[in-house]
Amino acid sequence: MDLAYTPRQQAFRQEVREWLAAHVPAERLVTLERKDGFDQHVAWERELASGNWGMVTWPSEYGGRGLDLIEWLIFEEEYWAAGAPLRANQNGIFLLGPTIMEFGSDEQKARFLPPMAKGEVIWAQAWSEPGAGSDMAAIKTTARRDGDHYVINGQKTWSSRASFADWGFGLFRTEEGSQRHKGLSFLLFDLNAPGITRRPIRQLHGDPGFAELFFDEVRVPVENRIAGEGEGWKVAMATAGFERGLMLRSPGRFQATAARLMALLRETADRASPGLREEVVRLWMGAQAYAYNTYQVAARIMAGGSIGAEASLNKIFWSELDRAMHRAAMHLLGPAAELQTLPDGSANEWLEGYIFSLSGPIYAGSNEIQRNITAERLLGLPRVGAG
Amino acid sequence: MDFRLPPESVELAEAVREYLAGTHGPDVLRRLDAGGNRDLRIWQGLVEMGLTGLLVPESEGGLGMTLLGGALIARECGRACLAEPLVDTALVAVPWLIARGETDDLAVIAAGEKLVALPHAVNPWVADGEGEELASVDPLRNLVAAPEDAGDDPLLLDLGALMSAAQLVGLAEAMLDQAVAYAQVREQFGHAIGGFQAIKHKLADVAVALEFVRPVLWRAAQAMDDGLTSAPLHVSHAKYAATDAAYLAAESAIQVHGAMGYTYEVDLHFWMKRAWALAGAWGDRNFHYHRIEDAALGGAHPLGPQHTFA
Ligand SMILES: Cc1cc2nc3c(=O)[nH]c(=O)nc-3n(C[C@H](O)[C@H](O)[C@H](O)COP(=O)(O)OP(=O)(O)OC[C@H]3O[C@@H](n4cnc5c(N)ncnc54)[C@H](O)[C@@H]3O)c2cc1C
Repeated sequence: MDLAYTPRQQAFRQEVREWLAAHVPAERLVTLERKDGFDQHVAWERELASGNWGMVTWPSEYGGRGLDLIEWLIFEEEYWAAGAPLRANQNGIFLLGPTIMEFGSDEQKARFLPPMAKGEVIWAQAWSEPGAGSDMAAIKTTARRDGDHYVINGQKTWSSRASFADWGFGLFRTEEGSQRHKGLSFLLFDLNAPGITRRPIRQLHGDPGFAELFFDEVRVPVENRIAGEGEGWKVAMATAGFERGLMLRSPGRFQATAARLMALLRETADRASPGLREEVVRLWMGAQAYAYNTYQVAARIMAGGSIGAEASLNKIFWSELDRAMHRAAMHLLGPAAELQTLPDGSANEWLEGYIFSLSGPIYAGSNEIQRNITAERLLGLPRVGAG
Repeated sequence: MDFRLPPESVELAEAVREYLAGTHGPDVLRRLDAGGNRDLRIWQGLVEMGLTGLLVPESEGGLGMTLLGGALIARECGRACLAEPLVDTALVAVPWLIARGETDDLAVIAAGEKLVALPHAVNPWVADGEGEELASVDPLRNLVAAPEDAGDDPLLLDLGALMSAAQLVGLAEAMLDQAVAYAQVREQFGHAIGGFQAIKHKLADVAVALEFVRPVLWRAAQAMDDGLTSAPLHVSHAKYAATDAAYLAAESAIQVHGAMGYTYEVDLHFWMKRAWALAGAWGDRNFHYHRIEDAALGGAHPLGPQHTFA
């Protein structure tokens, strides 16, 4: 074990820090969950890409820097420390990107990855349907084969930022009459294709952060399928693994929140109850623990290992940590917690963050489902019924 | 930067785990509890594995391992609920003596011929010491009252706390394993109780707690090996988090066992009681909390993502 950064890693950190200091927008962007804010965030993606920071771990031919996971973590730490904006492209770079890297053909990699890294094409996920939430194998939306095309009919829902995004990816039933996990295929589709209707859904905070998608005879070329026909479930599980595991929620995000929370505690120390005080310090410890764990997982993956069902432990931990940190902030703010703008004139990011943190234990596979997976696959407890 | 446990330390820990699983099962705990509490044959077995010399330099007949390697073994001692005072002598006293330059006894300690029970002002007792006996809730713990002039050396405290945290992790892991094993076989309503989500989720929570305390422990051990000035903060983090994980594991495990868990018959109680004992040893939860708060909230320790390994 060696917990010191090499001179090369330190120099890289410095490079990232300097670039971010010169480029991170001074003004906070409008929320990503609204069209105007989304556009600002896409502009930021392109700014990042101009510095070649779109996705540092990808090979340079796909628009990356060919860096390793430690360097990615350093980049993320600096990114969150600098208060840089949320990534409009997170579903692309963190979820679909690694999926294409693993399962896509060379042609698909060359076609989809560079525009993703450059922020030219923004991606939305389309798994959930009205009748298929936690039970994703209940997907009904069909993709009928017609020559060198699939023809999609049905409905997807809760698709994050699908109102504004360019392309979507998801699972569709390509085998007529197939059941559950069988007969599903992983398809990529242009959200502007004829026959797609997007209906924005207002989220808890009031902005249209996700959308319903209606498909009416939507034609998708067969070459937009990732992996074989009927192999979609396997591919989707890998994508879900990226989502719960290492990529989607890097520790820097939570360490930055924890540091802000500690600062808030210092400001409100004369009001905070001893219990709340200890809770905040404990949450800071949790964010640190999450970081150490991530470094350990990264080291294991770099040595040829992989992350399996442990991704469920991660997902439970970060989502509940995030919610608890924002809840603690709400209590520290006290009567100001409800205000959209705080008395000092700043936007109430804690309130916005608390609202968003409530979704963490729901999306990316609810925490109940993650606890089932943990109990059954990691601990070896028996499955009973729909477990 | 490489957060992987050293393979040779992991291999040794696995060998110790196997050895203790084979020779130091619950039957042994019961035999010790029935009389004597200590058994020279068990001690001799540990000596033969080289464990008394784990941290003793090779020049003095030991294995010269790091504190991180030592913490991996302390965790195994916790997992097996080992009663012999191996951790106090070989993993706490030895590195402390080495740091002080008191190397005269190291070879004798490595040979297993000398036990060292160190008092510290933070503990109202000395484990496996000599003097007026105190009764612990842990039937296999031998306590005597602390001398009035016990010192308060900070390094000794950190070593004791680190190795207690490591044992707490092992104890918690063992309690989770026992609860899982019971949940797989105990049937009610026509099913193994482990199939019920209320049971699954309770045990999943223990698994989550353990997953996120282990790296804190390794980080603390490495910080001590590296001599970081922030090491006390990391040790306190490990002790605090390991204490919470052990209490959670114990309470969850007894609940999963039902009334069985409330008996002296079922093995669980040995582990649970050791956990309660070690939670208060070498600085209790309050003590370590205050050290963390002082460092992290007080401003001495830098916070934020860019300072993960400060
Ligand atoms: C902010 C946000 C963004 C999202 N973005 C996307 C997106 O981009 N693309 C997309 O496809 N989907 C997205 N989703 C949808 C998300 O994947 C689903 O919400 C999630 O899978 C849960 O499905 P559901 O909402 O239908 O809840 P349900 O499945 O109806 O579950 C309701 C409750 O029942 C519990 N439950 C269900 N089954 C079990 C079981 N077997 N055991 C125990 N408890 C159970 C759940 O844990 C939950 O508490 C998003 C959701 C949110 C909140």
